Amino acid sequence: MRFRESLISAHHNYLINQMLTPGFILGQANGEDEFWLLADVLLPGEKAPCLSGRFYDGKGVFLLHMQGCEIIENPGNCILRASAEGFRLLCPSGEMLLSLDTEVFANGFLTRVQGKLYDKKGSLRMEPSFESAKVFGDNHRALYAPVRSQNKASDSHEIFPLDRGETPDL
Amino acid sequence: MKKVGENKSAKGIWVFGDYRNYFQNRVTLQLIAKGKELAGKLGADLTVLVLGHQVHQYAMEYVAHGADVIMAVDHPALKSYQVETYSRVVADLVRAWGPQILLAGATAFGREFFPRLAKRLRTGLSADCVALDVDAQEGWLIQTTPSFGGELLADVITPQSRPQMATVHPGMFQERIHDAAAVGRIIYPDVKVEADERVQLVRSKPEQGHRGELEDAPVVVVGGWGMGSRENFQRLFDLAEYLGGEVGATRPVVTAGWAGEDRLLGQTGRSVKPRLLITVGTSGALQYTTGIHGAETIIAVNRDPNAPIFKISDLGLVGDGRSILALLLETLKKRL
Repeated sequence: MRFRESLISAHHNYLINQMLTPGFILGQANGEDEFWLLADVLLPGEKAPCLSGRFYDGKGVFLLHMQGCEIIENPGNCILRASAEGFRLLCPSGEMLLSLDTEVFANGFLTRVQGKLYDKKGSLRMEPSFESAKVFGDNHRALYAPVRSQNKASDSHEIFPLDRGETPDL
Repeated sequence: MKKVGENKSAKGIWVFGDYRNYFQNRVTLQLIAKGKELAGKLGADLTVLVLGHQVHQYAMEYVAHGADVIMAVDHPALKSYQVETYSRVVADLVRAWGPQILLAGATAFGREFFPRLAKRLRTGLSADCVALDVDAQEGWLIQTTPSFGGELLADVITPQSRPQMATVHPGMFQERIHDAAAVGRIIYPDVKVEADERVQLVRSKPEQGHRGELEDAPVVVVGGWGMGSRENFQRLFDLAEYLGGEVGATRPVVTAGWAGEDRLLGQTGRSVKPRLLITVGTSGALQYTTGIHGAETIIAVNRDPNAPIFKISDLGLVGDGRSILALLLETLKKRL
């Protein structure tokens, strides 16, 4: 019997590739001129999901740099729309780049991340799939400890692929 | 994707996660606590099986209460419990992973589901256990269960068949404190899920009862067959109201229809841990006392001075329960 495996936090998880995970990285976090997406781990007491990344369009044109759910650079003139459950990040054309919705449970939180993201080569790295998103390409890893406080993804954290193998064919 | 065998750490103890209502979820949390303790003795992981649809929050809750591994099967066909579908899925998982021990609460659900699962897996099942331990050297689960009509507590082992399966009476173990900082592993097996087309759920209606209230009541007044009639039994509600408590019942009382099944205490019912328990007209059969041994103080009333209930009571009153109850109510009315 085949299976997929991830980590799970008692406090907060992201739903990605139809799996729960306390946090994840696509690409090399804080890569200066490359695509990356960091959904950071929340510690008990923290309630707001923390998303950072550098996003490109399907032609590899740089659109936006986000740090901790705040826009740092925005040459693509993207629009951030906040909602009670999270936010929507839209291209000027109205097409959704990224969305984040957090569901509150009695003793925890679940954040669904969806979006259509490309890297600098114009390769698809994330697309919506069922109630979450499916990720593509190498270098995607699950996290069990936060990385944002160190301002970069540190090798000192034990991180491993979301499914400890190839990206599952969903 | 990986194949079973590349990951051997889900082979230890499995607990079936029954989250469908507050009462059953508490039993699951109690089993997780005990399973974690036993897994520690065996040097194994404690895995919780979570079947259903959109069950993320329960998986997280079980990690917070001590689960090392969650085995999650999320499928629309598992949204409502169907015994055939559930037992087929769990049997496939057990055959693939080979856990040594499989536990579930002895709730109405566990009593239906686990015997069928045991039959599919061609292994034994100890029902309504009141204690569990392990022989770490042999890897045996020691299953303590009332036997011979409840007269004895027997330790049962299953030396040959695997997995070793047991249902455990609610309230036997203390659940662990919720730990929001806990992190575990979650496994999504690629198991075939097929709904049982012979059965279709038309609608479900929550049972109107006292689930949760009886377990949390500081005072519990219990009536047995010695109350003599439904009318006499009803007077226990007056006493419970004066004392700010709830009413429990023994099996003969429930069978006679004097009280509902939701008030049944003991081996096939619920377990309570009140600060004060008053038991009137109950002989003290083991089937009943397994549900009250957590009470801090027990006051027993019975006509028979040799009734076994006096062996576990802190204060015993030998006399007719109905008369003593009437006197007690009269006194309370004057004082309150």
